Amino acid sequence: MASRTLFMRHGLALLAVLLCGQTWAATVVDDRGRTVEIPAAPQRVVSLLPSLTETVCALQACQRLVGTDRFSDWPASVRSLPKLGGLEDTQIERLVALKPDLVLAAGSSRAIDRLEALGLRVVALEPKNLQDTERVIQQIALALGDAAAGTALWQRMQARIDAAAARVPASVRRQKVYFEVASSPYAAGESSFVGETLTRLGMGNVVPAALGPFPKLNPEFVVRAQPDIIMGSVRAVAEMPARPGWGVLRALRDERHCGFASGPWDALVRPGPRLAEAAELLADCLVSLDRPARQNN
Amino acid sequence: MKATLDTPHTRAARAWPEATLLGLGLAALALLLGVAGLAAGSEGWSLAWLHGSQDEWSLVTAIRAPRTVGALLTGGLLGLAGAIAQGLFRNPLADPYLLGSAAGAGLGVVLVLAAGGVLGHYIGLATADWLLRVGLVGAAFVGAVVGVALTLMLARGTARPIVLLLAGVVVGIVLSSISELITLVSPEALRGKQIFMLGTTSFLGWSSCVVLGVVLVPAAALAWRYARALDALVLGEASAASLGLQLPRVRLLLVALMALATGTAVAQAGLVAFVGLVAPHIVRRLVVVTHGPLLLLSAAAGAVLLLAADVAARSVIAPQELPVGVLTAVLGGLYLLVLLRRRQLQA
Amino acid sequence: MTAPAAHAAGVSAPPAAGVSAPHAAGVSAPKAAGVSAPHPAGAPALQAEGLALKLGALRAVDGVSLALHAGQWVAIVGPNGAGKSTLLSLLAGLRKPDAGRVWLQGRDLATLPAPARARALSWLSQQGEAEGDIAAHDVVRLGRLPRHGLFGTPDAADEAAVAQALDETEATPFAARRLNELSGGERQRVLLARALAVQAPVLLLDEPTTHLDAPHQRALLRGLAARARNGAAVAAVLHDLTLALAADRVLVMDRGRIVADGSPADAALRAALVQVFEQAFSIEAVQLAGRARWAVVPHL
Repeated sequence: MASRTLFMRHGLALLAVLLCGQTWAATVVDDRGRTVEIPAAPQRVVSLLPSLTETVCALQACQRLVGTDRFSDWPASVRSLPKLGGLEDTQIERLVALKPDLVLAAGSSRAIDRLEALGLRVVALEPKNLQDTERVIQQIALALGDAAAGTALWQRMQARIDAAAARVPASVRRQKVYFEVASSPYAAGESSFVGETLTRLGMGNVVPAALGPFPKLNPEFVVRAQPDIIMGSVRAVAEMPARPGWGVLRALRDERHCGFASGPWDALVRPGPRLAEAAELLADCLVSLDRPARQNN
Repeated sequence: MKATLDTPHTRAARAWPEATLLGLGLAALALLLGVAGLAAGSEGWSLAWLHGSQDEWSLVTAIRAPRTVGALLTGGLLGLAGAIAQGLFRNPLADPYLLGSAAGAGLGVVLVLAAGGVLGHYIGLATADWLLRVGLVGAAFVGAVVGVALTLMLARGTARPIVLLLAGVVVGIVLSSISELITLVSPEALRGKQIFMLGTTSFLGWSSCVVLGVVLVPAAALAWRYARALDALVLGEASAASLGLQLPRVRLLLVALMALATGTAVAQAGLVAFVGLVAPHIVRRLVVVTHGPLLLLSAAAGAVLLLAADVAARSVIAPQELPVGVLTAVLGGLYLLVLLRRRQLQA
Repeated sequence: MTAPAAHAAGVSAPPAAGVSAPHAAGVSAPKAAGVSAPHPAGAPALQAEGLALKLGALRAVDGVSLALHAGQWVAIVGPNGAGKSTLLSLLAGLRKPDAGRVWLQGRDLATLPAPARARALSWLSQQGEAEGDIAAHDVVRLGRLPRHGLFGTPDAADEAAVAQALDETEATPFAARRLNELSGGERQRVLLARALAVQAPVLLLDEPTTHLDAPHQRALLRGLAARARNGAAVAAVLHDLTLALAADRVLVMDRGRIVADGSPADAALRAALVQVFEQAFSIEAVQLAGRARWAVVPHL
């Protein structure tokens, strides 16, 4: 009888250990709707999208990265990692040679099928707006074996965004912003992630949500809308006054504009954990515009 | 005996009115579309500005009017260049981008964008500022001209058209590969190049119109003067030479005209597809004329085509715009499809 | 620029572009001579000496010397690859020979400026490489380019020449149609008309009877003979040997050389012809309207 209880106790212990072992396993649902099982916390991670790289690092798992895509350049430590090509031309052989146990890629990457056929574990994620970003952070945190870190990161980000929102001076609050993402001109609308961040900061947008996230606008629209504040890359903002008909824009005349250099620009246009940094950049810009308002503002 | 009344040349004299009619028709169409262009704004169709506020008026004169005129002039340049190309190469599928001008312009744009990004990192603002002033317009124009010059050098002159064509293809491929390489490492250049490839009239101001006009008028005049050489080329190389024509020199001049016209158009409005290809086709379908009137009518047809596409691009999803190159591709592609069907039915 | 068009008025036959001895040495204005002078036995309109051209490894033309006189029309015949077209293009100054010289109306072709050459010599190419949507009468008008140049305006005399050329080739009915829409025979007639419209004293035609049906072949040859009688020097490469044997003179070529040169009435010439074509036919004499003619009868 004693041996039977002993056996049962050992059996139960074994069962408990097995069950505990099972809690390591993560089930992640990626952008393709596929469920990917990750039996153990991955130690060699390859990321093929800058925002995913940034997410991994923000989750304090930077040291687990063994390779990234060509365009991942933040934080500085990833610059020394092997670069495995861009979206279209991933270097499959090199990637496989790194023996990763998890590959993070955008859903549109052409390499996914090939990598999966070669037996690698691929999770396809691509954050396109604020909501996506949260989901992606959570999924990656889960995949890396530390769901709590994801929640913590998100909360930190929210806190930073709230802090940035608090810094926005009352004089510029609720003013209409025109954010140009590319020439000819493409603007960031309310429904884009940039637009969502601006909304969080209490700013308005000349481009309503109905026009989509990044519409190509008739330049007349911008002139008619007479935005209070203009934002864009340094080059774009510099050449705006020369555009036909844009001389009447008050924001240009009164110099109520922010031009972002290419480093900060990346943070602004990439949805990912740097959204908080983006919010801070935007807040810095708005603070700098807190000048004595003119009479007819 | 004097030629009787109903000889070919008197019949030809009667045929002239056909060409004049077409010219007048195209001019009328251009006028109509011009009005439409002045009405198509970010709030859909409206001629309210006619009796509206000062602001409306300045919006129209500063943005809408030069865009409309610019579209006409750009289309005119492309139509002219396309007709010259088709005459020079005796090929109805030739377009003005054949000799490496498109690839060259694209490379120019990409280089400036990439250099701007790189310089922004490493070198001071002064240089970047100069680059900005030279601007994408200058880079595209220089690139187009350099592309054609490279083609001419590779083909060692214009003596043999087939060699010229091949050289153009080679230069086009090499230059666009270099573009691709640069865009691989510079995503900013990639974005800019994609926009450039689609074409837009968004930022055509009055100064752009002046530039376009200053190139179009003399180019059309010179092309008219030398158009007879294209007629002679109809007979074939050797026969045209037997008529005493200095073909290589004339061809060089026509290639230079083509490069100038294409480069200017592309620099201002980006790579607009199909206008240069389709405009001469349309004219040839409607009238039987020698190259003199053909070149001028092609310019007119190109102007009308591009303006029509531009008005559509502006009004279909206002206040958003479609890139005008997309619409010319759709319109041009449809036309070629119809042409193909017609040929198939005939065969 | 040129002398008043004395020839145009009242001349229904192809205008005389006679080359008389005083002109042979220097400038000849084709329109000025309204004279249908019999050709002198003197200076030839076109003369070649020692012409040679290698195309790759092949000696396409190998030491050819000949003289074309005004008032004669010459048929050039020979098997495929004999070098007939190459010879013609050398004579027309469109190719530079490796050796030898050509004199056009007494002037060295190599140093003659192209516009002057174009006014004195009209050349019709062999293959139909003409391709375009311009109207047939505009194609024929191109024949007047040597006269008024790229920038000159055509005058009434030019129009008359065009009308006449179209008339001669019976191309007037379809003169307003596009070149590309014409049938093979119609195109050939238009291109022929273009060559005739130049009204040059020397006419070099490469296979002018291609695509032409019998009536039009006949009309062409009659036209050529008439031009020759009026003082032009005409040479035509012909494939049809029966037609060739109706010429004033026949040049037989083989492997880049001229193997026989003489009148069709000359039995030796006819024998050489049969030999060069490997006895694939025999030449029979035919009496037609009181004149001796020759017909080629293939050995089947």
